[in-house]
Amino acid sequence: MKVRNRLVMLAVAIMLVVLPLAIGSAQKRIVRLTFYYPVGVSGPLASVIHTYVNEFNNANPDVEVVPVYTGDYDPTMQKVQTAVMGGNPPDVFIVEISELPTLLAMNACEPLDRLASKEYLSDFYPAFLENSYGQDGKLYNVPFQRSTPVFYWNKDHFREAGLDPNQPPRSWQETEDFARKLVKSDASGQVARWGVTISGGWNDWLFEAFVIQNGSTLLDYRKQRVSLNSAEALEALEFWVKLTNTLKVAPPHSTWASTPTDFVAGRTSMLYHTTGVLIFIRMSAQFDYGVAFMPAQKSYGAAVGGGNLHIARSIPEENKQAAWRFIQFLTTPEIAARWSRDSGYVATRKACYDVPEMKAHVAKYPEYGVARDQLQYARGKMMAPGFQKVREILKTALDESTGGKALPKKALDNAQQQAERLLKGWASK
Amino acid sequence: MTGDCEVVSMHSKWGRGPNPYVYLIPSLVLLGMFTYYPMLYSLYISFFSWDIFTPQPVFCGFDNYVAMFGEPVFWLVLKNTLMYTVVTIPITMAISLLLAVLLNENPGWMRNLYRVACFYPTMIPAAAAGMLWVWLFNPGIGLVNYYLKKLGVPTVEWLYDMKWALPAIMIVSIWKNFGYYMLIYLAGLQGISRELYECCDIEGAGFWARLRYITLPLLSSTSLFVVIVSLINSFQVFDLAHVMTQGGPADRTNTLVYYIYQNAFRFWNMGQASALTVVFVLFLLAVIAISMRFMERGVYYEV
Repeated sequence: MKVRNRLVMLAVAIMLVVLPLAIGSAQKRIVRLTFYYPVGVSGPLASVIHTYVNEFNNANPDVEVVPVYTGDYDPTMQKVQTAVMGGNPPDVFIVEISELPTLLAMNACEPLDRLASKEYLSDFYPAFLENSYGQDGKLYNVPFQRSTPVFYWNKDHFREAGLDPNQPPRSWQETEDFARKLVKSDASGQVARWGVTISGGWNDWLFEAFVIQNGSTLLDYRKQRVSLNSAEALEALEFWVKLTNTLKVAPPHSTWASTPTDFVAGRTSMLYHTTGVLIFIRMSAQFDYGVAFMPAQKSYGAAVGGGNLHIARSIPEENKQAAWRFIQFLTTPEIAARWSRDSGYVATRKACYDVPEMKAHVAKYPEYGVARDQLQYARGKMMAPGFQKVREILKTALDESTGGKALPKKALDNAQQQAERLLKGWASK
Repeated sequence: MTGDCEVVSMHSKWGRGPNPYVYLIPSLVLLGMFTYYPMLYSLYISFFSWDIFTPQPVFCGFDNYVAMFGEPVFWLVLKNTLMYTVVTIPITMAISLLLAVLLNENPGWMRNLYRVACFYPTMIPAAAAGMLWVWLFNPGIGLVNYYLKKLGVPTVEWLYDMKWALPAIMIVSIWKNFGYYMLIYLAGLQGISRELYECCDIEGAGFWARLRYITLPLLSSTSLFVVIVSLINSFQVFDLAHVMTQGGPADRTNTLVYYIYQNAFRFWNMGQASALTVVFVLFLLAVIAISMRFMERGVYYEV
């Protein structure tokens, strides 16, 4: 009796161990990829990404992509870097384009030249590829969620202030003039409605655009030169300080997340922000709004922004091949066009705009074409190793100046000194 | 005169069990691995240069410390942290003490209700509380400015104003923590003998006299505990700064721990971050030592 019970238990135990193994090996080997992605703009974009991932997984049963939402661009970069340093990098990840030199310094990215063909790359807008090449000339990432800043304005407020609602300001001077007409104070003298808001949070990115509009750049990655205090940059900052401190038509500080809400709530009449919040504004604004190029100074100008797809270097070759298939899926014209429609990011490939749904969409909502058209005036985003610190140095100069705590010239000279010291090993060569 | 001392033997008094120190080994191992070793390693790394441009640590002596003291942001951060400490601790203590005393006067189901209501903010995770208050403090559509306007009080830009961002965070912190200290004070109040209060009723002492001469002195040991704990907590303020302002307009809400985090995980300057950590720990030790020395004299354990 006892022996029989023991034999039964033994048989059950063996089955419990063997059965899952048998089932497991009966299936084909699935390559599992972790995919870190940020959401840098307002909107339910995490669920959109999940939709694409599910479509890919269903179409490719031998690959399983596991999407991991990693917050904003900053936390995403931290998580990627920590994972790389811990020897356990995500297979595919999206980080903000300026982080490329830092990732290259950590040897974290796989070169993609052997995977990407020339015709594939030639379909991307050239401005979007300017942040894809390392100093060794190799390709390290593929554009995915790309944007430029654009200019939003509230047409109802324009009508109310006696301005033509279909004519956004075309120059810095016009911006100033319009803002003075649009700003409103309440009974106690406090500002109830700002004329224009140059959004904080990524105000360094917006500042880069202003400097490009004024005919210069802040940092040249190829030439390894940093010039935060050029005459053009000083003019741009002095313009900002004029708006915030002298004329008081713009708020001195704000956050990236709060300003679209302010715009939608009617608290600011004009807004500099990314095209990526277009869908949020479209869904939430209860008024007529317009989207246009940022006003020009010497010319129109913008710095591109957003995130690109990277493959980690220290993962098995089959993971890299599977990751490349995933990247190709995400960058097909159809998916890239859908992504643009669902998010407000610019579709990264020229072929996207030939996709019939996209053509109809842009015809119905012309604002989706604005950032794309502005690309002809756009340059690559500034990037350098240790970019986060450079960014912090620049933001401090901007914030202290608009806050009235520092003079623009001193702030920028200081920033230039600090940046040169930080990058001295790199920039002087 | 020496009495008969028992020699401490390898066996405990209770029979043939092992030496009590053996029971401490698991804790010691964990403490060693997760507290002492990182502390010493931080001290060690603070003398090395280890950042994006120097992937392998390179010895650099006191360079990190010199760079740290030469950075204007460091002094701003220190000032922010000190201001935060000096303002939030007395206010939180006063509110929690007053509420504890009031609640103690009125036992019953109402007290339990109020106790839950007061402790409720402490139970909300800091990140959630921070996000909530970001919206409450929104200058255009937030409830704080809405009610201030109704009361005719001039409104400010709160988290976007260099002057008001840190006070805003202090408000959230006080709101969040007073319930916790109130509970500690309530517990302390249970230790005060009823007879003393009955004496007061007989002698005709009023509420404030009772508070000043009986309650406060006998709560002094609890107060010392509250001061030490809140000092330690206030120096570690990170979650609110990170969630609400990310260091704030122009570093006006950048606190010491947040600055360490920035150096370690955004700028990837491990040497600098370690040096900052060492300075932080020494500073905290000094502050606590001073306050304990200063307050020990004022603490009564019996009246």
